[in-house]
Amino acid sequence: MSDQSIKSRPVYQSLAMDLSGLRHLLVSDSPAYRFEAPPDREVEVWFVAAPDQEGRIPPSGTVRERGFRSPRHLIDRLDHRLAQERMGLRLYVSGTEGFLWDVFNTAQRAGMTRQEIFQCQSGTQARRVACVHCRTFNHGVTTTIVRCDGCGANLFVRDHFSRRLSAFMGVKIDAEVAGEVPPAEQAYS
Amino acid sequence: MILDGKLSARVAEIDLLNPTLKRFRFVPENGGAFPTSPPGAHVLVTLQGPDRVWQNAYSLVTPPDQRDHYAIIVRRVPDSRGGSHFLHDRLKTGDAVALSAPASLFPIASLARKHILIAGGIGLTPFLSYRPVLALRGAAYELHQFCAPDEVETFRALIGADAAGVHVHGVGRGERPDLAALLADQPLGTHVYTCGPQGLMDAVEETARGLGWTPHAIHRESFGGDKGGVPFMVTLARSGRSIAVGASQTLLEALEGEGIEAPCLCRGGACGVCLLPLVEGIPDHRDHVLSEAEKAEGRLIATCVSRARSGTLVLDF
Repeated sequence: MSDQSIKSRPVYQSLAMDLSGLRHLLVSDSPAYRFEAPPDREVEVWFVAAPDQEGRIPPSGTVRERGFRSPRHLIDRLDHRLAQERMGLRLYVSGTEGFLWDVFNTAQRAGMTRQEIFQCQSGTQARRVACVHCRTFNHGVTTTIVRCDGCGANLFVRDHFSRRLSAFMGVKIDAEVAGEVPPAEQAYS
Repeated sequence: MILDGKLSARVAEIDLLNPTLKRFRFVPENGGAFPTSPPGAHVLVTLQGPDRVWQNAYSLVTPPDQRDHYAIIVRRVPDSRGGSHFLHDRLKTGDAVALSAPASLFPIASLARKHILIAGGIGLTPFLSYRPVLALRGAAYELHQFCAPDEVETFRALIGADAAGVHVHGVGRGERPDLAALLADQPLGTHVYTCGPQGLMDAVEETARGLGWTPHAIHRESFGGDKGGVPFMVTLARSGRSIAVGASQTLLEALEGEGIEAPCLCRGGACGVCLLPLVEGIPDHRDHVLSEAEKAEGRLIATCVSRARSGTLVLDF
């Protein structure tokens, strides 16, 4: 019961430096990102790292790296940073699908076009699912059917992905015959 | 909305702006109102000369919501293909003209955070319809007009001198506009639009790319250019007719001259409406629509600008 043929489903590639840019910023929701840059080009890296026991973010190796305590923290600072940026910047994003599009939407609000933003999916394939009935976001969904945190409906997780909401669409599976809910399958990890 | 057919109009007023520039105001033939035009729109003006017909594209300089009249500004070019001479020397107040519905292939980018408009000479015209729209949206913009020193006053008067963000630069012979100074250090989300001589538009594009701007942020209007060339023959495979294309005539004009209704919209090689299948012959592609691969394949030709490298072209039309 999957609809894998949806054409709007984004396709991601691995990240490579766009040499037509003058400055390069990579943002990642994990310290374990992969990015190949020519040795003569500088890349600034922003990443999310778990704070240590005293709540500090581990110090970064170089001045071109900066750690943040959460994806939200990183995106808030990115919003501020892009407001002061100049033309010529390229933005590379590595992380879970929700993070990729949260960053994309922040960058687009700052005026960046999709030719200036590059995305690579990494980490968990778990989905953020938007309930079309109550608009609640359900995070970390790994099954084909999920019970909505907001309204309790049994949602079928469609492959229909909203770039605006950075989330997959969840629709009530037993709308025709109430209570007829097939067993959920583990689909993403 | 796509409008078919022509708008019947009459010349209401002709203003001489300087020795080579005239503004023509057209009003609807039977009163009423013209359609609302998008910013950056152009119309095709059909000119009925004594022994030939021109259909030339001109940008509207009236604001988009101006519906009681349209206006265009035309420069009289010394070695034109005749259209600008006809407009300047023959067309009189009260004459009837046919206009196409306005179309825009040069729209304002809605997601841009700032707009830089760079015009060369009479390439200013599309920006005259941009300005009221940008002002209404409260958008950040700069307009840079480059022209010969003796035309600075004409253009200042036309734009409304001393408006905020408007700069008219006189460029003497042998001088080059400092485009890098205009485009460097611009905020993220800036888009540049350029209209004017090919050399200026190429320089704007090259400068912007050098500063790390992507093609999405660079917009150019593709009117004019060199449309003439070596005469050639075109054969229409379906009817077997052979038609001569003269040196100062486009393939499209030659077809129209024979009363053949060939498709067209921008007449500048930008929109792709006029593409016709090519059966035989070697085309000289001059359009901005076909990809390099399609051009190499040689199976389509943009009749409004492209010509022939071989003596004859055969079209499936």
